[in-house]
Amino acid sequence: MRLPGSLSSRSPRRGERGRSRAAASSGLTRKPEPSAPSFDRRAMFVVAVFACIALALVWKAVTLQFVQRDFLMGQGNERTVRVATIVAHRGAIVDRAGETLAISTPVDSLWVNPAQLAGTGDEISRLARALQRDPEELTRRVTSNLQRNFLVIARQLPPAEAQRLRALEIPGVHFQREYRRFYPAGEVAGHVLGFTDLDDAGQEGLELFYNHWLSGHDGAKRVIRDNLGRTVQTIESIRPVRPGQDLRLSIDMRIQYLAYRELKSAIQAHRARSGSVVVLDVQTGEVLAMVNQPTFNPNDRLQMKVALYKNRAVTDLLEPGSAIKPFTVAAALASGRYSADSIVDTSPGFYKVGVKTIVDKNNLGAVDLSTALARSSNVAMARMAVQLGPETLHQTLSRVGFGRVTTSGYPGESAGLLPQWAHWRPIRTATISYGYGLSVTPLQLAQAYATLGSFGVHRPVAFTPVTGPVPGSRVLPEQVTRDVVNMMESVVTQGSGRKASVAGYRIAGKTGTAWKASAGGYITNRYVSVFAGVAPVSAPRIATVVVIDEPSVGGYYGGDIAAPVFADVVGGALRLLAVAPDAPLDAPVDQIPESTPQREPDLDLPPEADAVPPTTIAQRGESIAAPNGAQR
Amino acid sequence: MSTLSLPARSGGRAAQIHIDLVTLGLLSVILLLGLVMVTSASMSIAARDGGDPLQYLRGQASMVAVGVVVAMVAFSVRSEWLERWSSLLLFLAIVLLVLVAIPGVGYSVNGARRWLRIAGFNLQVSELTRIMVLVWVASYAVRREAELQGSLIGMVKPLSVLAVIAGLLLLEPDFGAAVVLVATGFGVLFIAGARLRDVIGLSFVVTAAMAAIAMLEPYRVRRLLAFLDPWADQFNSGFQLVQSLIAIGRGGWTGVGLGESVQKLFYLPEAHTDFVFAVLAEELGLLGILLTLVLFLLLACRALWIAKLAHDGGLKFQCYIAAGFGIWLGLQAFVNIGVNMGALPTKGLTLPFISYGRSSMLAGLAWVGMLLRVFHEAANAARGPAAAALRGGSARSVAEVAEDEALLADGARP
Repeated sequence: MRLPGSLSSRSPRRGERGRSRAAASSGLTRKPEPSAPSFDRRAMFVVAVFACIALALVWKAVTLQFVQRDFLMGQGNERTVRVATIVAHRGAIVDRAGETLAISTPVDSLWVNPAQLAGTGDEISRLARALQRDPEELTRRVTSNLQRNFLVIARQLPPAEAQRLRALEIPGVHFQREYRRFYPAGEVAGHVLGFTDLDDAGQEGLELFYNHWLSGHDGAKRVIRDNLGRTVQTIESIRPVRPGQDLRLSIDMRIQYLAYRELKSAIQAHRARSGSVVVLDVQTGEVLAMVNQPTFNPNDRLQMKVALYKNRAVTDLLEPGSAIKPFTVAAALASGRYSADSIVDTSPGFYKVGVKTIVDKNNLGAVDLSTALARSSNVAMARMAVQLGPETLHQTLSRVGFGRVTTSGYPGESAGLLPQWAHWRPIRTATISYGYGLSVTPLQLAQAYATLGSFGVHRPVAFTPVTGPVPGSRVLPEQVTRDVVNMMESVVTQGSGRKASVAGYRIAGKTGTAWKASAGGYITNRYVSVFAGVAPVSAPRIATVVVIDEPSVGGYYGGDIAAPVFADVVGGALRLLAVAPDAPLDAPVDQIPESTPQREPDLDLPPEADAVPPTTIAQRGESIAAPNGAQR
Repeated sequence: MSTLSLPARSGGRAAQIHIDLVTLGLLSVILLLGLVMVTSASMSIAARDGGDPLQYLRGQASMVAVGVVVAMVAFSVRSEWLERWSSLLLFLAIVLLVLVAIPGVGYSVNGARRWLRIAGFNLQVSELTRIMVLVWVASYAVRREAELQGSLIGMVKPLSVLAVIAGLLLLEPDFGAAVVLVATGFGVLFIAGARLRDVIGLSFVVTAAMAAIAMLEPYRVRRLLAFLDPWADQFNSGFQLVQSLIAIGRGGWTGVGLGESVQKLFYLPEAHTDFVFAVLAEELGLLGILLTLVLFLLLACRALWIAKLAHDGGLKFQCYIAAGFGIWLGLQAFVNIGVNMGALPTKGLTLPFISYGRSSMLAGLAWVGMLLRVFHEAANAARGPAAAALRGGSARSVAEVAEDEALLADGARP
């Protein structure tokens, strides 16, 4: 019986006996007897007190863990459980070949709990140094927001920098995962893509138009956070995250880059104010390239100025000038009153409409329509238009898409301006026939030329790839458009647009050089140079429009300024698209030396005998057109 | 077997070393529980501060190792020696407490000057002085037994000394340590046979004095009473307790699981020191609480049993040393647990052998060494059957027990 329990329970009695016996037998000196039972009782009392305390503590624990459990857990959850957002990844944008044009990459934003951070003393200045900010300014910002729980200090930090800041382990400093948009193509596709804001939502361009498709839906989950704001455990998913979908564009980056390069060099060479190039697929209506100058780099938000955002190809209006003439011819042919070999008398080189005179640069005499187009005769166009009447001309222009937005849906697209024909007086009809008194966007012009290129079938403009044949709607008889395209080819082979010719391909196009309108009239020394056309003529594949605004060096005629850009872009695009050549390669027209006279002696004057500005027609409709001398 | 008896040779005379396996076993379980809980509670704090998540485990484990050596040293010190030099110990304790009160010598943390820097080690003086003072109280109770048991003044004298010590502790300030020290001193004097009316009367006086000291400073009253309704000021004075209560409330029957505490994640201040019990309650639930309470209760009772053993052996000083340990252990453990559960005012007291704290661990283990020494001496000195049983193992003792049983049987038959 040596177990402690039995020993201790028995020991008082037995010890007493033993002691009394021992005291009696051995005579050892002992303390007086009375204290011994007193010790046992007092020790037992202490033990009893401890047992009571222990029981009380158990009772208290039971109270806390069972009676007050719901309340305490609720209080705990209030402090620790948070709803966290799972940021949805925005879809990427790729070109038609799959090359990435826009992609969202993870970044971190730094936010602080001002009260917590302010309580750490000089940690604010440590944070400021790490962020390369002014410590005093940051301290002010933190201390003036003490009542808030959430204050964003720095956004979109690159992962490496966020890691460095995280390593500082400053209390009250937290990080929020976000996504930042990167545009690998930079300014090459800047305008057409647009950009997103700091929250990765589309703000401009296709990023805005396709925002619903690209942006995902943020998810939410219930998490437990530690007191430093870090998620330690996910309790449940409240809403699953739905990432955005990728978007494939019809843009062909190879052509896009080509157009960008050519336009940029032309703008620089001619010190022009701005410019646009649009390349459409004639058969599908897809936009293959769309560039503008000046442009911006969407990756560098510092250099972004509102004036640079504009996608001029769809927002800017211009009076097309002579580039409208193929449609006047088409209207004449479609009316049945003219045929491809009809002759129009342009003598004596001017044409009076009411009190105004429409002038050609020189008297061409009686010419066929092909020559009238190639030599860009205003008189021929005006005569035909007046004869056709406003309704017929309006009908044709309207059918090819002028005066209404294309169906591209591009944000901020202009509808252009094509006035109601019922109000057209003869002079208005006459000026519209050669491109004044209406305004179009480069994209509209390209779509109209694409309608000619598809021999009369009007197709919607698309920024995303189109699969299968697009039926479109026939807006002009096929024969009429074939005739017009053939006539436009003569513009390039023998008329004002020779610099648009491309080795190996038959090109059809039309130059345009228009005075710019401004408040109160036309400015006679500012021009818009245009070249629009389709290629190859035998089976048109692309329609291209080049617009160069206010060239100031090296001329201003569309045939000199815009046509070479057109030739480079179209030639390159046709080769990139592997379009079979339809002209002999051995006589490259575009290799004629610059010094070679490009015009026959009798055509030595500028072929672009563009309009006498119908200043007051647009404004007041009364005053006489500018005298001949206004043109050089 | 509750004891381990080792043959030893001392001065050419055969002797035996008696080691109380029950105390060692209980203590080992408590220490292990402490190491586990300190590790769990401190890992995130350590990872945030230093990078090594096991930093506190290493610190605590090495303190246990050092503490075992200290305990062995304490075990080897004869109790008589302690008794003889107890006045010197008291003097030393006062010197230490005065030293720590001197600004520039004492080292302060969070506004409390409680530490002395000794060779790179921060010694919390109150932990060490507690033992010294209680050794003196024990020696007083033996020296002036008649006076203590027979008069009020015999009780007032040691209490005056305790009041001086408590005053020095309050200077730090360390209200919790002062209360536990005075209460333990009371307990030892009570065990030593002080008159009940003196004990009861003076405990009222002391309680009133403590209350008066507390009320001198209004902020202290407010902080002392904050435990009654911590939710009233839950983001300020009640903050720590509220976090502690939440931790305990989250526990339930078996707890959220070891390592799964959420409150330790920087919500609960001092999660690995004074409030480690709350983390234990959260992770191990009611079962963990019961285990902890039972372990401390058993160890305290075992110490009192050893005290009884010494008392029966006539070793009164040793008896009071052992009783002092038991009373202190029970008081400090239950006060700490009560504080954690919001049953007592929030005071900075460690849970012995469990909370992270180097001075506390060293002092506690030193005291355990003294307790084991008492057991050893009591077992050697004991007369009578109980002690005889302790000698165990030898044929002689078995025979003695048998003889004893026979005597008992004779005595029972008149």
